[in-house]
Amino acid sequence: MPDDIRALTAALARDPKTLVYADLADALRRRGQRQEALQVALQGLTRHPMHADGHDCLARIYADLGDLERARLAWSKALEIAPDHMGSLRGVAFLLFRQGDLAAAESALQKVLARAPSDEGARRALAVVRAGRGAAGAAAGPPPPVAEPSPTAQRPPVFFGFDGATADILLLDQRGLVLAGGLTDAEGKDASELAAAALAGVSGEAARTAEYLGLGSWSAIVTEAETANLVVAPVGDGALLLVRRDRSTAVGLALRFAERARGIALAWLKGQGA
Amino acid sequence: MNEQLQRALDRISRVRGVRGSMWVAAEDGIPVAQLLMEGVRGKAVAALAASLARKVSGAAAATGAGRVRFVQMEAAGGTLLVAPAAQDLLIVALAESRVNVGLARLEMIRAAEAALA
Repeated sequence: MPDDIRALTAALARDPKTLVYADLADALRRRGQRQEALQVALQGLTRHPMHADGHDCLARIYADLGDLERARLAWSKALEIAPDHMGSLRGVAFLLFRQGDLAAAESALQKVLARAPSDEGARRALAVVRAGRGAAGAAAGPPPPVAEPSPTAQRPPVFFGFDGATADILLLDQRGLVLAGGLTDAEGKDASELAAAALAGVSGEAARTAEYLGLGSWSAIVTEAETANLVVAPVGDGALLLVRRDRSTAVGLALRFAERARGIALAWLKGQGA
Repeated sequence: MNEQLQRALDRISRVRGVRGSMWVAAEDGIPVAQLLMEGVRGKAVAALAASLARKVSGAAAATGAGRVRFVQMEAAGGTLLVAPAAQDLLIVALAESRVNVGLARLEMIRAAEAALA
């Protein structure tokens, strides 16, 4: 059991009335233990039904489980209790985006920025949503307070809602051209094109290796490196996905994360007729 | 040195599902020592693993991930595992899909670190 979960579990055992249940549930959720997280959150909320952070946490768990309707209800409850709850406002924007309602997602993100102008995450998300809406969306509202949108903001917001959606997840085609997502370097600058060019070679080499060795089709290359774990996986016919996770993320979790991102990428490519 | 390399291969090949393991010169993909089950084409595995490792190292550098410590290529019919070691060597294992990757990885990294000593 990781140290943070052990400490939070001990704290909750010492005092079951404490609000630390929400932290424990969120830590479990981040580790991919969603059912355990759900149990902790629901139990905590029976004691603290007016705890907005608890409802926000519950909504995130439901969102991770793919139950968007229950996630919506939980975030609505959190906002009913605390109308300025930032996590819930962001969550609602995420849901609206997932449901394809880009106009409403943009409006929700504008609400977040009105309350927290320095929220860089919301600012980036707004740029991504506006890029998704195209020129019409950009003209509909006030211009975003971003002087020059980054290259990642101009790409389709395929991985919106994923951790590292425009900095650690990259979708490219077999020629090494970027399709969606983005990859940044240590200084936060866009390094997508360089990475895509290098990765296209990996895909060809993997296919050749699997074929010559009689291994059938390859499904993933997991690389443990000095500062990050990388997962590269083929998506559909010829596209390639790269997911970069911090070294502290277990390889198994990185693979699960990549599998989820791969599903989203595949659905998006199908939608594009690719 | 040769005995040390062979001992490492012996340990790796004892992991259930491993069909063969080998030390490979990273630069030219030539096998240095190997312990393979019948039917495993050692020269092909060595050459392809070295080539894949070079490409992956290039991609890791381009993504800012730094020096590669371990590579695992999963395929429908098996898994190829590669760990860079000292003296420009790679330790390579070819395994079935059901292999305990965690155990094979441990043995390979241990062997790679021992090669440093």
